[in-house]
Formats: sequence, C-alpha cells, structure tokens
Amino acid sequence: MTTADTFQPVLESLDAEAITTPSESLWRATLRRLLRRSSAVVGLIILGTLLLMAIFAPLIAPYDPEQVLIGIEDVRRREKPCIHLLGCPEDRPQHIMGLDGNVRDLFSRVIYGSRFSLFIGFATVGFAIVVGTFLGATAGFFGGWIDNVIMRIMDVLLAFPALLLAIAIVAVLGPGLINALLAIGIVSIPSYARVMRASVLTVKEQDFIAAERALGASTLRILISNVMPNALTPLVVQGTLGFATAILDAAALSFLGLGAQPPTPEWGSMLGTERNQIFTSPHLVFFPGLMITLTVLGFNLLGDGLRDALDPRLARRSG
Amino acid sequence: MSRKAIMSALGLLIVASMVLAACGGGAPPTEAPPPAETEATAPAQTEAPVAFEPKVLDAGGCDYGGFFKEIAALDERTVQFTLCKSDAAFLSKLAFSVFSIYPSEWLEANAGSTEALEHPIGTGPYMVDEWVRGESLVFKRYDDYWGQKAVTDTLVFRWSTEGAARLTELRAGTVDGIDNPSPDDFDVVRNDPDLQLLIRPALNILYIAMTNTFEPFGDVRVRKAIALGIDRKRIVDNFYPPGSEVASHFTPCQIPNGCVGDPWYDFDPQAARELLADAGFPDGFETTIYYRDVFRSYLPEPGRVAEELQAQLRENLNIKANIVVMESGEFIAESTAGNLDGIYLLGWGADYPHVTNFLDFHFGKANPQFGDPFPEIYEPLQAAAQIADPDEAAPLYEQANNAIRELVPMVPVVHGASAVAYRADVTGAQASPLGNEYFAVMDPGGRSTFVWMQNAEPISLFCADETDGESLRACEQVTEALYAYEVGGTAVQPALAEVCEPNEDLSVWTCTLREGVKFHDGSTLDANDVVTTFTMGLDAASPLHIGNTGAFEYYSYLWGLINAE
Repeated sequence: MTTADTFQPVLESLDAEAITTPSESLWRATLRRLLRRSSAVVGLIILGTLLLMAIFAPLIAPYDPEQVLIGIEDVRRREKPCIHLLGCPEDRPQHIMGLDGNVRDLFSRVIYGSRFSLFIGFATVGFAIVVGTFLGATAGFFGGWIDNVIMRIMDVLLAFPALLLAIAIVAVLGPGLINALLAIGIVSIPSYARVMRASVLTVKEQDFIAAERALGASTLRILISNVMPNALTPLVVQGTLGFATAILDAAALSFLGLGAQPPTPEWGSMLGTERNQIFTSPHLVFFPGLMITLTVLGFNLLGDGLRDALDPRLARRSG
Repeated sequence: MSRKAIMSALGLLIVASMVLAACGGGAPPTEAPPPAETEATAPAQTEAPVAFEPKVLDAGGCDYGGFFKEIAALDERTVQFTLCKSDAAFLSKLAFSVFSIYPSEWLEANAGSTEALEHPIGTGPYMVDEWVRGESLVFKRYDDYWGQKAVTDTLVFRWSTEGAARLTELRAGTVDGIDNPSPDDFDVVRNDPDLQLLIRPALNILYIAMTNTFEPFGDVRVRKAIALGIDRKRIVDNFYPPGSEVASHFTPCQIPNGCVGDPWYDFDPQAARELLADAGFPDGFETTIYYRDVFRSYLPEPGRVAEELQAQLRENLNIKANIVVMESGEFIAESTAGNLDGIYLLGWGADYPHVTNFLDFHFGKANPQFGDPFPEIYEPLQAAAQIADPDEAAPLYEQANNAIRELVPMVPVVHGASAVAYRADVTGAQASPLGNEYFAVMDPGGRSTFVWMQNAEPISLFCADETDGESLRACEQVTEALYAYEVGGTAVQPALAEVCEPNEDLSVWTCTLREGVKFHDGSTLDANDVVTTFTMGLDAASPLHIGNTGAFEYYSYLWGLINAE
C-alpha cells in the first residue's frame, strides 16, 4: 500500500461539504424519526414535565419541603391527602398528597425531589461518561498492554453486582448524597468504557483514520475530532438509559439510608423512611414510588426510542 | 506437694472440728463456718428425717468488686444473704424474674442442656408443655401450685413482629390478648366493642444526651440552651401514643422518690438563644444527632423523632445537625463509653422499680456516657443508696434531681406509653408497667385456653441468662423468685420467701422460705435450691454457670460475678 493510493479518495471524502452536511442532517433525521415513535414522545413528555417541575419547584410547591407544619396548621402526622376539588372540606388546609411522618407537605417534597433525582442523573452519568469515555478511548485506540490493564480493571468492576459495589463504596466513604453519586458514578464507568472502546476499535481501522495519520495529525487530534464523534451514537443511547439506572440506584441507596440524608426530600429516602407505614398510610410510599417509576420509565422510553432512531439499519427500513 | 496435702488436711480437720463444736453445743448454726472451699459440709442434724447439708456460696471477701459476700443456707428454710454494701433496693432486685429459683438437683443434671433452655423447672402456676420453635409455646396448669392456681388449663404463647398482624389475629378471635398494638391502631381497638385496650404505664425515659468531654457540650450554657430550646411537649404530642407523659424528671413519678425536686425547664426558645449567644454561639453551630433504628416504647419511631429534633434545633436554636443512624450494638457501645461527639437519643426501661435503677446507673461515678460525671449528682446518690426508708432518702434524691436539672448532662424528654389489647370478655387482664403480664389470673371468658401473642419468640426459657423481655415474660409464668412484683404493678411482695429481714445497716438479709412449695418435678423447695441457683448465676467458676450464652448479664450487672476473669 502506498500513501498515494489511499490519499486521493480519502481527501475527497474529507471535503468539508461532504462531511458536515450529512452529519447535521443525521441529527435532524434522528430527531424526526424519534418524534415519529409514540413511545419516545411519551418519554420526552414525561421528562419535559419533570424538568419543568425541577426548574420551577419553588413556584409549584405550596410549602417549604423541609418545613414542619406542627403548630402552623391544624394537621396531624401522616394525614391522608386533602384536595378541595375532590370534596375535602374547604376549611381544611389543602395537601394534595397528604402529610408525611414529620408533618411536612408531601406534595412539596415530591416536587423538590425531582431536582435531586435529575441532579443525580446528570451528575453520575456525566461523571461516568467523561471517565468511561476517556478510559475506553485510550484502551481501544492504543491497544496492547494499556488496553489490557484498563479493560481488566473494568471487568473486575463489572464482576460485582452494581448496587452491592455502590453500597461497599458508600460504606467506605460514609453515607451522604455526594458520596452516593460518586459510588454510582464509579459503578457505571465500565459500561461506557466498553461502548467507547468497541466504537473506537471499529472506527480506527477505517481508511480515513489512516489518512488523517498520513496527513500528520496527532493521536490526540485523531481521537477527539475523528474517533469520538463517530462513537457518540451508542454513547448517547447508553447515557440515556444510564440515567434511569443511576436514578434507580440512587433511590435504592437512599432507601437504605446511605444516600440523601434527612431532611433532604429525596424520593428514595422518602420511600425508605415510611416503608413501615405502607398499610396504614399508603400515600406516603405511593407518591414517591410513583415518581421514581415515572422518571425511570421516561428515560427508558426515550433511550429505546433514541437507539432505534440512531440505528442506521432501522433508519433505512423506516425511511 | 506433701506439705500442701498436709496443710489442706489440717484445714479440713479444723473446719470439721469447728463445725462439730458448734453443733455439739446444741446451738443452731447461725453463721456458716469460714470454709476453705466454697461448699462446706455440716454433719446431719439428728432430728431431721432427711439429712440436710446446707450449702454456702462464699465470694471470698469483697475485693472482687461485687455485691455478695456470702449466700448461705442456714437450715432447710432459711437463707442468709451477706452483702458487701448495704442496699435499700435489695428486695426490688431480688424480685426480678431473672433471679428465679430452680431445683438444685435439676440444675446439676441439666445445666446448659437444651432441656434447661426449653423446659425449665420452676414453681410457677404454669409448666412448660411443648415449645415448637418458630410456631408456638404451650404451657399447662401446674395443679400443685402453692398459691392461687391458674384459671385456664392451657396457656399458649404466639408471636408476630407486625403490630397490624397481631391486631388482625385479635380481631379474628384466634388470640385472646396481644402486646403492643401499633399506636395508630389505638382508636381502632378502643372503638371495637369486642376488644379492650389497656395502656401500659410508662416506666421508662427517653433522653437527649450530650457528652461533656466534646465541645461545645463542655459548656453548661450550651447544654442548658438545648434543654430550653427543645419543645418536648410538641415531640410527645405528635410522635407518642396517648398515655405518654412529658418527663418532669429523669425517673418516672410512679417510682418512689423518682420525681422529687424541681420539675424540668419549660420551653423558652428566646432564653435558649440568649444562653447560646452568651456561650459564644450566637449563630448556632454544627453537630450530629446519633440514634439506633430500634423500636422501644420510649422511642417508637426513632427516625421521625430524630428528624423532629433536627428541625427543632434548626428552627429554635439555629443549630445545624446531621443525622447518623448507627447499628444498635455499636451505638450502645459507643454511647455508653462516652465516645459520641454530638447529641444522641437513648432511653432506659426499668429493670426493677427502684430509683437507683434509673439515677445510680446513669449518673453514678463510674458512668462515662455523659462525659465526666458530676460529683454534685453522684455524691447525694451514693449517700441515698444506703438508706432503706424512702422518706428518709427523699431529701438526697431531691438534691440529686435538682443538680441534674442545673447541670443538664442530658435532657429528659418523655415517658413513653405502650399498650396491651385483649378481647373484651377477658377478665383479670393487666398491662404491667414492667412488661410482666401474669396470665394465671386471667379468665378468657370461660374458655379453657388463653392465647397470648407478643412481638417476638422467646430466645430461651432459661431466663437466668436472658435479658430480652419477650423471653422473660414467658419465664415469669413458669418460675418464681424469692420476691415478686404485685400483679400489674411495681410493689414488691413475698413469693417463694415468706419474708426477708435485714439487719440494722441493711447488709445482711435473712430470708425464710415458704413452706410446702413444690417444683414441677415434685421436689420440695429448700434453702439449698436458692444457694445453688445463685451459685449457678454468680460464680463464673461453677460448672453450673453455663446458661444460654453464658453472659448472665443481669447477674453480672446487678450483683457482679464471682471468679470472673
């Protein structure tokens, strides 16, 4: 193989027009395909609502989520929901989701809880994507012993059940929301590293990479501007689905008392602290549980939709 | 070697001759001879039809730090307890069911065996019939009982950890009484004509403790600010079942001398903030609230109360507290050793209904759980413990209680009530403050079987080596101690002993046993059974000292073990 043989065609494909136009329309096409899937649209609606809820929490929530209403209103602990529209007497203070075990408005807590859940999702997935992408790309691109060392460490991480490993990490770091985030982040690194490495392995063998190299581009430049964009598709899907897992894991850690600490209105801990009241005050576990379910469902629907929309084979079939 | 043999032979000879001399003189042996071994032998009394060889448990002095110097059988029906220090609460402690009397021959044959753990032999109104582990525990009436015989032929113990499940069984009529219905269900039980709810008086205390060896709790103004800045009534009203009382003193008022002295501070957040500012914390400070997530009637919802305390500290005093839940065993170990650097929530339930069980245990000189102990508190307590007459001791307890109020080693919060529910046709039903419901006097509407459902299965029925209330309640139907608490109350009354008389300074107690008491195995109660039972519990070197776990915690905690490592 001579340089001249491969140089000419690759140069053509490197033409700026040819590269940017299809890639822009790829995302636009993806969005179009995504919106055509009703399940993905449902996911988007759920997540959009959630996002609005988180952003405008102080406007939506009628009470401070940490305010104890003893002595402020004539209410009892764990009072059932009171909604004026549904026939609750007007002289009673309205609590759409009732009151929790510490006489706080459950609705306000659930609303504020969306902030924590979304934050947990963003923080852990962000952390895991950055670290995982870096590790996976390094391993895939350089190969050899570097690949071996990194991927074996990832294998070790994967060998543990994720939640158990997270619990172990929190046990070492001490309970708390930030430590729980860190633990879940660490636990989810391997999946991103694997996805990234696999993409890099397929991309790096392609001719245009060889051309870049022949043109004298540095390894880092090739990695960032050529390999990364091409590996992005599976990462986006993995990341969206990872949101759901991260939120679920964080809720589980909080449920066990290892995550968010009281009085933080986190859904998992709200569920955990009132779990014994499931028969006497079901509203206290129903609403936080429902919110966790909806959020996870939203991310899963969106993730599935994205995967289908980004899949070129499916794309061709559906036009 | 040979010299040692000669010396011990000589010792034995001297002992034997002294005993012979004492008996030859015709006088009854009022004092057991100082023996070389723990068990001395005495010649048979010529008048007695069966030879009685009185046994002695000799601690070998008081240097071991325990409570008993000697426990000796003087004759068949007389036991003499010689104490290392005078104790006004001796009978209260003696009545505790852990110190129930077993037949000596049975103990010697069965110590530590499964038989001892599952089929104890006692003198009580019921005897153990069958224990199907995990399912039920069946007792049958003991027809030769010395006192009033049990009403029902059969008594059955069952258990369920869920309050709701217990109530379901009670409403279905499959059980006649249940322990601890959930506070949320109190009204359900009250409003049901087929059921009755009895509130168990609260012989316990929840306190908010601070360890004064950690800053800022070394400053009495900070501790006092917390005492003033916590609305205890709000906690009790919202988180405790009806019948619970805001604590006016550390010790519940049902206990004699428990609440002499000034009552606790009223809630005053303004004064509290001023005190905190005086102490140099105008903007509050950061600390930690520690607790264990374990249900107790003094703390029915630990997590909710901890969060309420956290909210109150923030609102009233601007103190930011983090909440840390600890594993139960670790929490007890760390808190009682005084190692917790923040505030912790702990409580105490009465072992025996005497003020010393509350005050001396917590505020004694040797207890580091609140940091450095205060002489202002423990000195009057030490003096009061030497006085038998409650009225005479009252001024000292008043002084101690006022010192506690002034120095605030902790904030007493609540005496938490719990309840017992029975079917409405049960007569003689009780809710005992000490948790020892006595079923022999209960009549379940004429039915021949009484079924009781409690929180948990007994651990074993050899209660000399148990601490768990669920086990103790089962044992209390079967075994009896020298004294007992009155049914449904706390007053001490004679049981296997007709009377125990102290000497002048309360250091020697002579107990006369009841006549004609027969154990379930047909043997007759005598003084040696008492000595053997105490030897089994107290003497760590005794071959009988096996029990269930071998810890003998109450023997160790209330009396102190002999020959312990």
